[in-house]
Amino acid sequence: MKKGLSLLLALALAVLALPALAEGTVNVLSWEGYVDEDTIQAFENETGIDVVWSPMDSIDDMLLKVTQSGGEGYDLILTSDYSLDILRQAGLLQELDKSLLPNYENLNPLYLNQYFDPDNQYVIPYVAGCPLIVYDPERVSFEITGYEDLWNESLTDSVACLEQYRVLIGVTLKTLGYSMNETDPDILAQAKEKLMPLYKNIRTFGDMEAYAAMQSGEASVGFLFTPFASLIMQEFPQYKLVYPKEGLGFGIDGFVLTAASQNAENAHAFLNYLMDAKVAAHDAEYQAYMCVNKAAEAELSDDYWTNPAYNPPEEMLKSAEYVMNIGDAESAYADIYAAFKLQ
Amino acid sequence: MKKHSFGSKLFLGLVLLVLYLPIVVVVVYSFNDNSTRIPLAFTGWTTRWYGELLDGKGGYGPALLLSLRVALWSVLLSVIVGSLGAVGMTRSALGFRGKPGRFERFMEAFSILPIMIPEIVLGLAFMVIFNALGVRDNVARLVLAHTTFCIPYVFLSVKSRLVGMDQSLFDAARDLGAAPPRVLWDITLPLCRPAIVSGAFLALAMSMDDFVISFFVYGAGEGTLPLKIYSSVKVGVSPRVNALCSLMIAAVFLAVAVQRYGQAVRKAREKKAAAN
Repeated sequence: MKKGLSLLLALALAVLALPALAEGTVNVLSWEGYVDEDTIQAFENETGIDVVWSPMDSIDDMLLKVTQSGGEGYDLILTSDYSLDILRQAGLLQELDKSLLPNYENLNPLYLNQYFDPDNQYVIPYVAGCPLIVYDPERVSFEITGYEDLWNESLTDSVACLEQYRVLIGVTLKTLGYSMNETDPDILAQAKEKLMPLYKNIRTFGDMEAYAAMQSGEASVGFLFTPFASLIMQEFPQYKLVYPKEGLGFGIDGFVLTAASQNAENAHAFLNYLMDAKVAAHDAEYQAYMCVNKAAEAELSDDYWTNPAYNPPEEMLKSAEYVMNIGDAESAYADIYAAFKLQ
Repeated sequence: MKKHSFGSKLFLGLVLLVLYLPIVVVVVYSFNDNSTRIPLAFTGWTTRWYGELLDGKGGYGPALLLSLRVALWSVLLSVIVGSLGAVGMTRSALGFRGKPGRFERFMEAFSILPIMIPEIVLGLAFMVIFNALGVRDNVARLVLAHTTFCIPYVFLSVKSRLVGMDQSLFDAARDLGAAPPRVLWDITLPLCRPAIVSGAFLALAMSMDDFVISFFVYGAGEGTLPLKIYSSVKVGVSPRVNALCSLMIAAVFLAVAVQRYGQAVRKAREKKAAAN
């Protein structure tokens, strides 16, 4: 017993006395694995800069943490459109130095000049996606053309649905002819009334759960984000993918440089590397999102070009709508969703 | 030995199934030979993930080490503070006044507050305080925060043990001439050892497991194991995590087995000694 205890203590001491991190780094705050580790490894080998990936789980927690601490310690943050807007408006970002980003011109102009960065000063778009409908024509007796069809009576208990209340209520608003970002209480009351009966058609909620239900064949219709929709279409080429006739929802995830950054030069080097045509093509396909890099298009595989999830018509993308930050009105959406889920 | 009815056996079986099925799934999926982007289907057996894990891919090694390092420091500090606190508070209540006064009752409620407050509030509060005080070191930040919520587990465990103890043991030691520090060292602490050990293990589990508080307290860096795993929500958890968790489960089972074996050996030896 004594021996065991001292061995344990010795082990404990060995663990307690570990060295700290090295210098020459760039600190990135984002979801684990959102840039392929092989890409990061290659960048590190090429430049000698150490990429330190700080973990985050949800955008809300990330915002809380960064706004409370001023973003200190982080150089780059990779997150979604509306949160980029919040960070920019909070004055937590610093302007990018385009002279350090020769690959910037590779980016597809379609994804630049967005509302969260109207003058292209702060954001480097990384990937883009839309919520899309995928279905098995064998098991669905009619042709699905839009969100409206998700309410169809023949689809009872057969829809696998993503779990993002702003998106689900947003497309409900779209079927009523409104914007995804309405804040008028009367319009939201209409949306609530419309949304409620959808419940009986939904078999599974949750991004990953919905994907799993589609993959196992448990659900015949999926309302999924681009990466999940594209993986399903890759696995079941006989399925149909719908660009909903009411208009596309849309989202971009991008990098921003914090005002507090201590390693701005390294951060630019990393961003520039990620915008390289080959690297960008690899990352977009690896993450199963739409590629935002024009020069990378020559490097994308046939699988990418033949998968409808990556290739919505450009006209639809131009009129696609973001879920935006609507401030306090957000809670009205959360209330509607709670009532919807609890029925 | 009392015979158990079929119904109670069935119930036990179901409870064990519910408890252990997730662990079995974790272990089985660590051998899943499915390298698609989101490997949900089980397609065959492989040990590739273990190989990659040992090659250091994904950086789970440093994350695990950081978690262990923080957990061990936190347990060490919370055992010291928690058990001394429990001893001190029980002594002052029982030794002189007979029953706990208002101050003791207040202190007792106050000391378990860290596990009553919502984690997100505690996490944010720590973050603001550490930033204001200029505590930059990630390990120090994590250890201080974890110690805070670990103390109540040790404190409660030791305290409940002390309350049930015969006060005359300590009086006898004093009567035989032991100074208070010696009573503490030779009588109180050895008697409390099982409670200290179980409190420490609970604290260890809580520290290894914590996400919310760690997220807010932690500055830039690769993060502890839970931070890294939760952060995989967006792109899906790598099967390497399954491999790592399987190894951790194996380590725990092994440790328990060794401890049990040691206990059995000791019991047998004692029996023999008693027989002689």
